[in-house]
Amino acid sequence: MTAMYDWIRETLMNLAFEGTLPLAFQYGFVINALLCALLIGPVLGGVGTMVVTKRMAFFSQAVGNAAMTGVAIGVLLGESYTEPYISTFSFCILFGLVLNYTKGRTALSADTLIGVFLSISLAVGASLLLFVSARVNTHILEAVLFGSVLTVSDTDINVLLVVTVATLLIGIPLFNRLLLASLNPSLADVRGVPVRALEYVFVLMITVLTVACLKIVGAVLVEALLLIPAAAARNVIRSMKGFVFLSIAISTLSCIGGVLLPMQLDLPLPSGGAIIMIAAGFFVVTLLIRVTIPRFRDA
Amino acid sequence: MRGPGIRFDSVALELGGTEILSGIDFDVRPGEIHCLIGPNGGGKTSLLRCLLGQMPHTGTISVDWQDTKVIGYVPQFLDFDKSLPVSVNDFFGLVCQKRRPAFVGLSKRNRDLTDAALARVGLNGKRESTLGSLSGGERQRVLFAQALIPEPALLVLDEPMSGMDEVGAEYFERIIRELAADGVTILWVAHDLRQVEAMADAATCVNRSVLFSGPPAQVLVGHEAEVLFARAGERAAEVATEDAAS
Repeated sequence: MTAMYDWIRETLMNLAFEGTLPLAFQYGFVINALLCALLIGPVLGGVGTMVVTKRMAFFSQAVGNAAMTGVAIGVLLGESYTEPYISTFSFCILFGLVLNYTKGRTALSADTLIGVFLSISLAVGASLLLFVSARVNTHILEAVLFGSVLTVSDTDINVLLVVTVATLLIGIPLFNRLLLASLNPSLADVRGVPVRALEYVFVLMITVLTVACLKIVGAVLVEALLLIPAAAARNVIRSMKGFVFLSIAISTLSCIGGVLLPMQLDLPLPSGGAIIMIAAGFFVVTLLIRVTIPRFRDA
Repeated sequence: MRGPGIRFDSVALELGGTEILSGIDFDVRPGEIHCLIGPNGGGKTSLLRCLLGQMPHTGTISVDWQDTKVIGYVPQFLDFDKSLPVSVNDFFGLVCQKRRPAFVGLSKRNRDLTDAALARVGLNGKRESTLGSLSGGERQRVLFAQALIPEPALLVLDEPMSGMDEVGAEYFERIIRELAADGVTILWVAHDLRQVEAMADAATCVNRSVLFSGPPAQVLVGHEAEVLFARAGERAAEVATEDAAS
């Protein structure tokens, strides 16, 4: 894969030097970040529609917070602080599974329970991360929280590629069953949908995707990229087809814009923040369209 | 189509230390319209869920399948965010298509089946409407239509008439009669005793256990069940008064 990435980098960098592409493309790290953006944009946009439909936005926020703990544990255990994937994936998957297992076994509503887990994961994650960043590298904190295009490596791209392909291979064939299970579990069960098993599949999908996107979007903002493009699409769309495809388009454009615009305009913004601000811009535009153009009001 | 016979034999259900059902014994004959009646909270829906394999009951429920093992199920309601852009078409995509995602649309075959089912419940003009924009009664008709794809051998209805208007009720009753004439077995949680009397071949009153079971013309004589409903209503009012006082 490295040879292919090198070829892509060299080709784009040459085009930038020739003046065909913007100057920002003369840097390898920008191209790395752009490759990541092209991978996560469509996937987060598509999966975001499922997250919104299944009312799981709060859950993805909790996993994002748990990732902070995972990163800190990884660094404490001696993993590279730029790629602490083993501990982050392990901790977040465990966190997601425990949360989902607990969900059906308490008298609490799902919202309340996820809120409890979210608070715990934020408190533990922030404390451990502050402790680790003070001892190892103060930039860890900023990179984990808000994403950092400067540190994207070939390993990060590989991780994203594998997670993206796995998400597509699992998410597309199971799309109907995952959503039907949330609309009415009894009906889904009669239709042969393994409701409980698919809950775990979805939780794992969101967890793994969240961790893989940390480098670009950051732990605090991954949830926003799952939520805002879908919410923006919802403002002007009234069918599942439009919902999914517009959400994918908004998410992809936000990711590309969030990576390139700060470089192009020489703005000192973390990639995660820039991506979410652009997505928020799309949300405001679609909201204005809905409010001002009568035929969209009934959408 | 020949619907299955069903035998409930000493079925009992306990959840969290609370006895929901106990000693449920009755038979549903193949091809009959069998109504479950009884007060709210009496365990009718739980009994259906036991039949569907969704509740960990004791005792046995044997289903004597004849031709196909297809169950059509109409739930009480859909639990979803009404603002979601899920059209009626999308909903049929979610329900009827296993691998082809709803967001790429219905296959030709499923589109034809959906058209036929929606026409049968009088909603063929609502294909593009979102579920959230439909009235409660229309949504129940959509739920009823999905239960007709594929054609069921056993139709399980959990209070399908809640929120349904008169027009919807007429469609519903006509289709129930057509299905019964085709031999489909229908197990139906119902509240309207006049409807039960007019349509059912058998009625079973469940309030934790079976209070009575048999042809409506016999078991509903003297309005026994109506008394039960009234008592349940009185008890609920008493509890509400006690709660308010405390």
